[in-house]
Amino acid sequence: MKQNFSAEHKKYLNKLKTQTALTHIARILLLALIVGLWELMASSGLVDPFITSSPSRIISKLTEMFSSGSIWQHISVTLYETLLAFLISTILGSLVAILLFMCLPLKRILEPYLVVLNSLPKIALGPLIIIWMGVGTSAIVTMGVLICIVITTISMLNGFLEIENEKIMLLKSMGANKFQILFKLILPASLPNFISVLKINVGMAWVGVIMGEYLSSKAGLGYLLVYGGQVFQLDLVMTTIVLLCVLAGLMYMIIALLEMYVNKKRK
Amino acid sequence: MNLLTISGVSLTYHSKTNETLALDNLSFDVKDGEFVSIVGPSGCGKTTILSLASGLIKPTSGEIFVADTKVTRPSSKIGYMFQRDNLFEWLTIQKNVLLGLEILHKKNKQTEAYAYELIKKYGLNSFEKHYPAELSGGMRQRVALIRTLASRPEILLLDEPCSALDYQTRLVVQEDIWSIIRQEKKTALLVTHDISEAISMSDKIIVLTSRPGRVKTIIDLNFDKSLSPFERRKQPEFSKYFDMVWRELI
Repeated sequence: MKQNFSAEHKKYLNKLKTQTALTHIARILLLALIVGLWELMASSGLVDPFITSSPSRIISKLTEMFSSGSIWQHISVTLYETLLAFLISTILGSLVAILLFMCLPLKRILEPYLVVLNSLPKIALGPLIIIWMGVGTSAIVTMGVLICIVITTISMLNGFLEIENEKIMLLKSMGANKFQILFKLILPASLPNFISVLKINVGMAWVGVIMGEYLSSKAGLGYLLVYGGQVFQLDLVMTTIVLLCVLAGLMYMIIALLEMYVNKKRK
Repeated sequence: MNLLTISGVSLTYHSKTNETLALDNLSFDVKDGEFVSIVGPSGCGKTTILSLASGLIKPTSGEIFVADTKVTRPSSKIGYMFQRDNLFEWLTIQKNVLLGLEILHKKNKQTEAYAYELIKKYGLNSFEKHYPAELSGGMRQRVALIRTLASRPEILLLDEPCSALDYQTRLVVQEDIWSIIRQEKKTALLVTHDISEAISMSDKIIVLTSRPGRVKTIIDLNFDKSLSPFERRKQPEFSKYFDMVWRELI
């Protein structure tokens, strides 16, 4: 049926194509413009590259770190912590949401605590985490989990509660018990919501882990940031930020691909 | 034989600021194979009657029997069809139809064969592997009816199954539901606010009073049994019945 488009429709499709292409070109141009201006200002002495670093310095720093191989340890440490925090908080947060949904009196009792925990700046718990968990990976992962878990529970639970009551009544009228309602309706219906929670958590897990590494760490990208700041090596700081952008973007893309796959399966 | 008996049923709704008597000492029955409609002013507790009959809620007083068994909770004897089709978007048509059997743990070769027979008989076999989003509103409602029938209920409770559809589709779906229920020789209790829908589909109309709902009158419809809803609309008696029901409602 693809061949039978009228000339007008083809024109419309071409217009759409041009629009997408132009958007892509503009995006690349914008990046090139910023990088170019930055480089120009740094090399002409308009800004001090000691303070601002510069794209060429970042590139040479990157090549240096990758050729010496020292960066891999930092990347793997942070990536490991982030993935762990992401997985633990998503799974645990969803399980708590399910528990609260299945036991609504518990939800009513715990609601104010959830609200307070959600609005509490988790970084305030930093000293406690270090004292309780010790310095190192477990403290950092805990920080990541704390940042993600409350919002995971709240978003998942709200999603459960928004599912049409008539669908629940339908299953009840068929004689379904609580668990059948959960597995046949609530969980499958919450899949899109779950994916949007994943998308939020990807970003939040990075926030938590970098924050955790600020508190106490011997390696990792957060450690590099703190270290670079302390010894006034802005090249190192900028390079690490670039790496973080790439890694967080990649992780987000993986979730976006997962979303596309799920949507395709569900139509 | 009475398949459904509502006997002296009252129901009070409670809210923080109010208590509302929704149904007051309601009694009527539906015989085996009968198609009965309930009409009444909005808010007279029509839908509540279906919730009660299906065992989803309990009456404040009075008793409900389906095939001589007292209704205390939902059972497979009753098939409840809601206003909206409530198809599960993530399941294929086939799996949607089998949902009730799965819930009842009654999915086996025999019951599945019956479900497929229904799917085939009512022209859904070409959509079996499709998802609900690919079907029109009328088709979706047909799937919802087949899903209800697949677990072989003895009585169907229909809660304004056509009201969410546009007028033309509504006429088609009325025809559809009526003929499928007739072919499968099922008993049905339909709740509607649409007077002509009630007249075109049923054997008997129960008119309720406004809140609290009581039986105001029961009107027997004497159409030729073979006339479809659409043909009934063309009969001279149709407007006579319309007048009768209308007068009872105001």
